[in-house]
Amino acid sequence: MDQNVNRRRFLKTAVALGGAAAGSAVTSATAGLVRAADGPAPGSSELANRFGREAGDWIPSCCNACGGQCGIFVHVVDGRAVKVEPNPFNPNNYANISTDFFENYDPAIGVREGSSICPKGNASIATLYDPDRVQRPLKRTNPAKGRDVDPGWQEIGWDQALEEIAAKLRAIREVGTPEKLLWWSEDHSFTHPQQDFCALFGTPNYSNHSNLCDVSRKASFKMVMGDERPLADFIQSKFIVLFGWNPTSAIKWVHLPRIITQARQRGAKLVVVDPYLSDTAAKGDEWISIRPGTDGALALALGHVIVRDELYDEAFVRDWTSGFDAYAAFVADKTPDWAAEITSVPAATIERLGRELGTARPALVDVWSGPGQHTNGVQGGRAIALLNALVGTWDRPGGMMIPDKRGAKHASPELEKPVSAARFDGLGDLPWGHSSGVYGRGFQRLADGSGPYQPTIGVCVFQNLVMSGPGSLRVEEALKKLETFVVVDTHVSETALLADYVIPGTHFLERYDLNSHWVTWSVLGLRQPVVGGAGQAQSTYAFRGGIFGQMAEYEFVAALGRELGLRTKDGTEFFSVGATSKEPVESLTAWYEEQLSNELKTGAPGVTLDEMKALPGAVWVDQKVGTTYEKYAAPLKSKLVVDPDGAVFDKPAEDPKRKQVAILVGETLFDKPEADGGVPVGRLIAGGAWFTDGDKLLDGPKLEGKKPKQIGYAFGGTDPRRGFFTSTGKVQFANAKFAEKQDATGRPVDALPEYRPRDWQPDTAYPLYLINWKEASHTHTRSFNNPLLMSIKGENPLVINDATAARLGIADGDEVIVESPNGSTRARARVTDRMHPEVVGAQHGFGHWALGRVAKGRGSAFGDLNTIRYDPLSGQASHKEICVNVRKA
Amino acid sequence: MDLIRLTSRRDFLKHAAVGAVAGSLAAQGAVAAATAPERRHRWGMVIDTERCVGCESCVIACKVENMTPPGVFYTTVTHEPLPGAPSDKPVFMAKPCFHCEEPPCVPVCPVNATYKRPRDGIVVVDYDRCIGCRYCVAACPYGARYADFGDDYELLPAAGQAVSPEYKQYRARVPGASPIGNVRKCTFCLHLQDDNGEYDRDAGRWPACAKTCPGHAIHFGDLDDPESEVSRLLRERNAVRLKEDLGAEPNVYYLL
Repeated sequence: MDQNVNRRRFLKTAVALGGAAAGSAVTSATAGLVRAADGPAPGSSELANRFGREAGDWIPSCCNACGGQCGIFVHVVDGRAVKVEPNPFNPNNYANISTDFFENYDPAIGVREGSSICPKGNASIATLYDPDRVQRPLKRTNPAKGRDVDPGWQEIGWDQALEEIAAKLRAIREVGTPEKLLWWSEDHSFTHPQQDFCALFGTPNYSNHSNLCDVSRKASFKMVMGDERPLADFIQSKFIVLFGWNPTSAIKWVHLPRIITQARQRGAKLVVVDPYLSDTAAKGDEWISIRPGTDGALALALGHVIVRDELYDEAFVRDWTSGFDAYAAFVADKTPDWAAEITSVPAATIERLGRELGTARPALVDVWSGPGQHTNGVQGGRAIALLNALVGTWDRPGGMMIPDKRGAKHASPELEKPVSAARFDGLGDLPWGHSSGVYGRGFQRLADGSGPYQPTIGVCVFQNLVMSGPGSLRVEEALKKLETFVVVDTHVSETALLADYVIPGTHFLERYDLNSHWVTWSVLGLRQPVVGGAGQAQSTYAFRGGIFGQMAEYEFVAALGRELGLRTKDGTEFFSVGATSKEPVESLTAWYEEQLSNELKTGAPGVTLDEMKALPGAVWVDQKVGTTYEKYAAPLKSKLVVDPDGAVFDKPAEDPKRKQVAILVGETLFDKPEADGGVPVGRLIAGGAWFTDGDKLLDGPKLEGKKPKQIGYAFGGTDPRRGFFTSTGKVQFANAKFAEKQDATGRPVDALPEYRPRDWQPDTAYPLYLINWKEASHTHTRSFNNPLLMSIKGENPLVINDATAARLGIADGDEVIVESPNGSTRARARVTDRMHPEVVGAQHGFGHWALGRVAKGRGSAFGDLNTIRYDPLSGQASHKEICVNVRKA
Repeated sequence: MDLIRLTSRRDFLKHAAVGAVAGSLAAQGAVAAATAPERRHRWGMVIDTERCVGCESCVIACKVENMTPPGVFYTTVTHEPLPGAPSDKPVFMAKPCFHCEEPPCVPVCPVNATYKRPRDGIVVVDYDRCIGCRYCVAACPYGARYADFGDDYELLPAAGQAVSPEYKQYRARVPGASPIGNVRKCTFCLHLQDDNGEYDRDAGRWPACAKTCPGHAIHFGDLDDPESEVSRLLRERNAVRLKEDLGAEPNVYYLL
């Protein structure tokens, strides 16, 4: 694979070498007999040519050691990956604001300062070549399932695996119950083929990772300002408050450590609110130690101080928010004293922090999974998000940015018939439920047989449900109820241990993907296979093959789709016909390459897959439109075109692809002529035709079965602007309509961000809160068989406050028993003042009883101590809502 | 300076034991200098503790670059509070070899296997001469040297045949042969220098730790070049060196 970038880098090197050589001829007269290096004597140049940096290829790609998807260059020598290095062309590795990136950017070399990758990316080759990886499909021979039960794995061929799994799937589909298939997936990788497969198959039950992660944050922000994932512009900020987030350590996007630490050097103050003095708090100016799950109360009291002392941004509040008066009245009694009682944060600290936050500009307040993974996480997060409205920094430099992201465009297949069955997890009952589903309720219903029907087949791709869902014992119980359980993974995880079939998955260096990067302007990175490809001898299907000749996940799904003959509305065999050529494609890999090419070509990059590969660093970066600010204020022009006869088209007359989308009668848009039963779907505003819902401007007609997206708001009914995507077009302090909704327990939703204690509180039997977190060294539960990562973090001691430990007679290093009503586990104590006295906690992901020989038995898993638990507004898994007793073993 | 005496008790004892030896061999160094080629660079690092986030990306990048075995770390990251600090709040510091101007590890070597390269000051180990006595491990006041006892990472395939680019020697690490049985240490990734002893950052020929650092905390360059980034940082910020009073004159500085 010859790469432009490599050539350019190589040429640059050559120039540098030439230059240096010329210089040395002048200056090294006295160097005499000793060569430049002065020893030790190097090996032959032949060795250098074979193994050195100029050997083989440096192939650009994107990491997937976690979901962060940072850019990488992979050194491949003789078909073997030997080193992963940062990709300086990919903004995700450096900045999230376009000016910050381009100021330091050189088109020939990328970021001049150099780029970064985290330990997980650096160590990823050890996972690629891990001998504990699953290499061939495995079939269970022992029908008994359990933690200590030997599955009796039998290796089978790919064709047999595909045929047998397809036969089971065909059976439920043929009798008209395709919804009995449950599907779980990771959320960043190869999701489209899986979603398309589920839709074409006829099951509504595709779910993915997000509801284990941050859907409560998404819900909080959506309630406040209509966007799911605003991003903090740290580097331009002067005052940063983080609630329960560890971004300089639980790195995810590797630009975070840079932009946060550099912001501090540019004068920002960093305050971290967390029960644990996290590694991010260690980089901060102030750590606010707080009782778990009470963050919302602290945020309300900060709001109280800012409102009481009139420190808020008056113009922003007046022009761009709604419900302020109700909020101001609501926080009037949320005094620092009130919050101190709840949070354990001293009232004087709250007073001071409120005044500092209210007077520093620009300031931002962000929140992630710390407060989010409790049953009261959404309203707490909402109270936190609202602080940004008080300080007026929504979508302003140094504030919380609304990403302007255009990326690849996936065209979902048109279905023969719509998926009619209800979702098994009842996602629709959750007012801010996320399309990723509600794992917790699905497991509950599966275990109890209490769902609308009883699913019989489960497919789990690249997920370790047992260790990742709160309540490991209950999750196991649920999964054991499935008649057929298929797990696609690189390792026999705790979840795969319960499978009937384990299908070998790929490492990210063996597969494709497109990565829409989490920066604030449009950037899209390519992941491409850099190893493997020696073909496959084990299947009648043609595909590229990973290092074991195994199918990539998208190829496995496509093969299953072919086995089942899944067709689109027009009768096309979806998984056999190329998305760009529209011709049958034999190779599963070529089929997916056409899918990607189509997504790229029809999306913002407008390039083919091959053109994408040739871009520097294989990353498409929008060079024209960078980060934009105050997007909400931007006036909007309608894209709809009205012909003189009143016909409304989606495109101008000269565009041959244009379609009539409505008809204008007087000032009103109808979906079709009134005589044919047309209904109003929009109106003329400021001379332009708009699809509307009240004063909300939509990207399509609001008709039964359609869910058009909000694209703007007609302020005063006459002034079309982007606004915020809420019912008032503004940031909402309060929303009376919320009270008309009910959460999953039937309780009315609070119109204001009321603080309500989380469900599970400590008592005399289980007096301590148990929390968990992530650090730079590991990803979820996935990275623990990597010997390099285990060499920097090989266990997760239970962190206990020193005074608490003394009271319990526990010394640093002691083995302790941690117990809850649901189960118990052993851990090693780490005694320190870095922890709130009422709290114990540990890094998540350790304590494997499967996965691999390195992972097994290292550290402690706490999943057994919880039970299935999720937030009733968003469905967020409540990983951090556990109470325990700790005693010396 | 108390603030920077991050001396662990173990390190301190180590140093006390070898101090006498180091002193007696200073003269030997002076003789060597008289016949050595002209000094062209003083490679060094300036590590910004405000920017280090303790992630240990440098540790892993180094291990993969140099193919070091278990128990051998050319760089580490400390996560300890400063001595005398009022709380356990950690200070993160990447800690490679300091390539000292007066390296206490060098004069103790009975076979002259470890030395400071005259032209660029990098402290190296000649595996073909090293007898594995580990005097230098004890002599280093900073704990930067490690013995290669021949361990392999459990389950890492072909670890025994992994080829390390160290010293541009591309040795396959096999039982019974160097570097197994030798003392190993950070080389500032000198194998990435060109034949003239120059690095090229834009081409990725730069120490692996500095090249990957997520906090951009590790700055590398020529301390003798006033225009270098490291020299500029030393002019602009307050820098300290660890255990300054020992007189080893480290070429790695910390910005606090």
